[in-house]
Amino acid sequence: MSATATADAGHHEEHHGIGGHLLPSDPAVGLATSGKIGMWIFLLSDAFSFGGLLLAYGILRGGSSIWHHEGEPSLGINFTAGLTFLLICSSVTMVMAVANAAEGNRSKVTMWLLLTALGGALFLTGQFQEYFGIWSEGLTHEGLTFGRSAYASTFYLITSFHGAHVFSGTLYILITAARSAGGKADANEIEILGLFWHFVDLIWILVFTFVYLL
Amino acid sequence: MSTDAPTSAPTAAATEHAAHSRRPYLVIFGLLFAFTILEVLVALPSMGVGRGFKVSALIILALTKAAMVALWFMHLKSEFKVLRWSVLLPFAFPALYAIVLIAEAGWRLL
Repeated sequence: MSATATADAGHHEEHHGIGGHLLPSDPAVGLATSGKIGMWIFLLSDAFSFGGLLLAYGILRGGSSIWHHEGEPSLGINFTAGLTFLLICSSVTMVMAVANAAEGNRSKVTMWLLLTALGGALFLTGQFQEYFGIWSEGLTHEGLTFGRSAYASTFYLITSFHGAHVFSGTLYILITAARSAGGKADANEIEILGLFWHFVDLIWILVFTFVYLL
Repeated sequence: MSTDAPTSAPTAAATEHAAHSRRPYLVIFGLLFAFTILEVLVALPSMGVGRGFKVSALIILALTKAAMVALWFMHLKSEFKVLRWSVLLPFAFPALYAIVLIAEAGWRLL
């Protein structure tokens, strides 16, 4: 998707936006570039993957008389609320990167992107701590074992699928930050990256509620 | 891939957002933060909130937060109408199915 976004900038005058030369101009989508529309299509399909997982979770939980078996630890709400706050902060640093990209402040774009990537890396560290333990015991040591109960399995499946998104998103940010620093990434590319990262935040908001709080 | 496409090149997408101030983003950030604290307070067992109220409050808060991220951070609010509805509408029917399926699973327990 980002490759589409960086398509030859020389063509953007006679077509709709950078990358727009891959699609015929269409008044219905106006200035939305093909790269941006492509990212939205991907995000929608990804949203339904998460939707499927959350639906399976809802049905399993709604249909079981005992969800939380004896000996299984509860999920740490306060710690995860901190992780949620971290992702929200990284969404703000991302909108700052997008806004600066739109205004052409390349050095600031790189700085905000690196801060966003740092947020992603800290989130992953927090998730590692939660699973396996770094400074205190992790859930795997406290008796939450994948495959032992629907509670454990759905927890690991949903949060790790989200974690995989944070991981790939952080890599995507770092690559784009390097491209931006080198003058290769334009505002459209940063905006498309922003869509992906905000989506990861949006999904976490739902995961936090359904898996941790309810 | 051209080398003459620096970040500073004004593009259609860029000029569209250039006029946007940072203020709405900071307001949304504040609201997301406040709603997260509210969620944790509602969810804490020590608060003694009833199950029905807790579930509905948490779902409403989460959907509001998700909508704020999509509309403001992802710019859906200022996006073209066709794109906005192409993204938002497909969620309506699966959501209805989800409610029916989860309710049905719970119903069989009774």
